[in-house]
Amino acid sequence: MTDDEDPVIGDGEEDWYGDADPRVPDASSWPTEGDYGFLGEVPPQPEPAPRLADAELRELERRVEQQHTPLWFDLTKRLPLEGVWRRWRALAMWGRSDVVDDFGRDPRATARWEWLFEFLYSKWFRVQAFGIEHIPQRGRALLVANHAGTLPYDSAMVMHAVRRDHPARRDVRPLVEDTVFHLPFLGPIMNRIGGVRADPANAERLLEKDELVAVFPEGEKGMGKLWKDRYRLQRFGRGGFVKLALRTRSPIIPVAVVGAEEAAPMLGKVTWFAKNIGIPWIPVTPTFPWLGPAGLLPLPSKWFVQFGEPIDLSSAGPGAADDRLLVNRLADQIRSQIQTMIDGLLAKRRSPLLAAYLG
Amino acid sequence: MSPSTPSHGRVVAVTGACTFLGGELLRRLEEDPRYARVIALDIRPPAQVGGKVEFVKLDLTQPTVDGELATLLQKAKVDTFVHGAFLSHPTHAAEWAHELEDVGTMHVLNACAGVEPRRLVMISTTLVYGAHPKNPNFLTEDAELRGHRDSRFVNDKVRAERQAQRFAREHPAVEVCILRFAPILGPSVSNMFTRFFARPVAPVMMGHDPLMQFVHEQDAAWALQRAVDSHASGAFNIVGKGVLPYTTVLALLGRVPVPMPQIVARQLTKVLWATQLVGSPPSFLDFLLYLCVADGAKARRELGFQPRLSIKRTILDFLGVAPEDGATDVARAMG
Repeated sequence: MTDDEDPVIGDGEEDWYGDADPRVPDASSWPTEGDYGFLGEVPPQPEPAPRLADAELRELERRVEQQHTPLWFDLTKRLPLEGVWRRWRALAMWGRSDVVDDFGRDPRATARWEWLFEFLYSKWFRVQAFGIEHIPQRGRALLVANHAGTLPYDSAMVMHAVRRDHPARRDVRPLVEDTVFHLPFLGPIMNRIGGVRADPANAERLLEKDELVAVFPEGEKGMGKLWKDRYRLQRFGRGGFVKLALRTRSPIIPVAVVGAEEAAPMLGKVTWFAKNIGIPWIPVTPTFPWLGPAGLLPLPSKWFVQFGEPIDLSSAGPGAADDRLLVNRLADQIRSQIQTMIDGLLAKRRSPLLAAYLG
Repeated sequence: MSPSTPSHGRVVAVTGACTFLGGELLRRLEEDPRYARVIALDIRPPAQVGGKVEFVKLDLTQPTVDGELATLLQKAKVDTFVHGAFLSHPTHAAEWAHELEDVGTMHVLNACAGVEPRRLVMISTTLVYGAHPKNPNFLTEDAELRGHRDSRFVNDKVRAERQAQRFAREHPAVEVCILRFAPILGPSVSNMFTRFFARPVAPVMMGHDPLMQFVHEQDAAWALQRAVDSHASGAFNIVGKGVLPYTTVLALLGRVPVPMPQIVARQLTKVLWATQLVGSPPSFLDFLLYLCVADGAKARRELGFQPRLSIKRTILDFLGVAPEDGATDVARAMG
C-alpha cells in the first residue's frame, strides 16, 4: 500500500472475502496495532502505521455493523489467552523437571525434598553411619538391609547417608514394596525421588546399568513387625535378592539399620477395614491413629546405620542362581550376618530404651 | 500405474491404507525404488493413490473376504503383507469393531495361509500388555499379554495378536513381524491419545502418577518402514525415547489436571462414555493408575529402529510449540 493511495474499503464490490480479502490485512496482526483496544491501553508500537490502523478500524466497524464477524470472536482474539496459557504451563512445571530417568526419578523433585531428608538425617534421627567406605566408588552393588517402621523412613535414610557422606555422592535406588509403591500420594513421591517398585526385572535392569540398589528382603513382614519382635529379622523373602546378585554378578553389601523400630513402635495392627482402603493393615503406634495424620511422623529416635564388607559372589558358577539350596543357604548366611551387625549396634547403646531416644 | 514387470521389485499389500500409519507407509514405499507395486486395501481410497499405489476396495468385515483376498494376493504375487486395519480409538460399535479386528485378522491370516507371502507385518499397540500394578517398569516382548479388563478395544487386539502368533508357529516359511506401538503422538495423527490430550482438562487419579511413554508419529512411520524392509520376525515394541510422569505430561501440554478419587472418576467417565462425550471408556482410567511402559531394546537390536525424538520433543511437536533449544518444527525437518 502506498501513501498516496487510500484503500477504499467497502467501495464497489460488496462481496465478503473473509480472511482471504486482499484489501484487509491479516486479522492476527490486529492486536499489535496502536490506537484502540477493548482492553484498555495497548503500548505504542515502534513503527505505527496509522493509515493501516484506520483502515482496520473502519473494516472492523463495518464487520461488526454487518455482523459478518461476531463481536465475541474479535474479543477472544484480543484476550491475552496465549499469555495466560503460557503462565499456567510455567506454573504447572514448577518444582518438576521435564526429564526423568528411566525409572521415574525427577532430579528437580529430588532436590526439592532434599532439605527434609537432611533435617530427618542430621537433626531428627541424628544418624550415625559406619562403614560407608565399603560402598564402591563406581560399579554395581546390592545393598541388603533390615526393614522396620510403618513408613519406609529406613530406606530414605540409607539413600540419604550414601548421597551425603559417600565421596562419590552416589545415588541408591531403593526397591519399594507394592503396598507402599501404590499408596496414593506417597507412592508417586517415592518414585520421583528414586524409589523403584520391587520387581526382579527392575532390579536386574538397574544393576546392569551399574547402579546401587537397596533391597529390604523382609519386605512387608519387616514393616509389620510388632514392638515385641523388634530387631528380630524376619525370613528374607525367598532369597530372590541372592539370585539377583548371582545373575548380575553384583557384590552384596549387608546393611544394618538401628533406630527405625523406635521411630514408629508398632504396638499392634488392625486388619479390619484396612483391606478396603488398599493397605494390608492399619498400624497402631503411640501416636497413630490417635493424632491423625500427624501420628505418622516418626518419633525422634537415635539411629545407627552400618554398612558391612561387600560379599563377593562372583566365584559362584554360572548356574548358581538356579541352585535353590545354595541360594537359600546364602540368604540365611547374609541374614545372620545382618542380625550380628544389629546386635553389635544395639550393644553400643547405653540403656535399652531411654538411649533409643536420647542417643 | 504399476510397472508391467513386478518381478523387478517387491510387491506390498497394505490393509488399513487410510489409517495414519498405512498412509505414511504408502508414501514412503512410493519413493522407494525397491518396491515395484503397492496395493492399498481399504473401504475407501487413500489420498496416496497413483504411481505405484493401486487401490482395491476390500471390506474385512465381509464373511467371504478371505477367498477374495487370497485370489488378489495370488494374482498380484504379493510378497509382503502389511496388516494395519485396526481402530485407533474405542468405538461404541463394539460388534463391528470385533468383526473388523478379530475376525478381520482371521480372514487376513486365512488368505496368507493359502498364499504364504514371504513376510507378514502386523500393527498392534503396547496397550495389549495392559496397565497392571504388577507390571515391571519396562515390559519386554515376551511379557504376558494381559489385555485390559472389560475393554473390547484392547482385547480384540490381543486376540488378533494371539492368532498371528499361532499363524507364525504353524507357518514357519512366513516371517511374521508384529509391531507394538506405544501411544502415537504428533501434529497430524489422530487417535484416542491425541484426542484425550487435546482437551483442555484431563482427569488425574488422586494421588497416582504413573510414568507414560509415547512415540512420535514420524518415528512410528519410520519403524513401520524398517519392519517392511527387514527380515526380522517376532514381536517388537516400538517406543519413543524416555518416559515422563502423567502429571508432567499434562503440565508440558498446559492442560488443567482435575484430581478425582477413583470411584468418582469411574462413575463420571461411565456417564460421559455412555453419553458419548468422552472418547475412552471408564476402564481406560487404569492407564492413569498403573504403568504400561514397554522396552524398545529388541527393536533397536534386531530391527535397527532407534527413536529420534525424545518424549519432550514429541509432546512439544504434538502441541505445535517450538522447543527452547532453537530447532523448529521437527516433523517438517524430518520429512
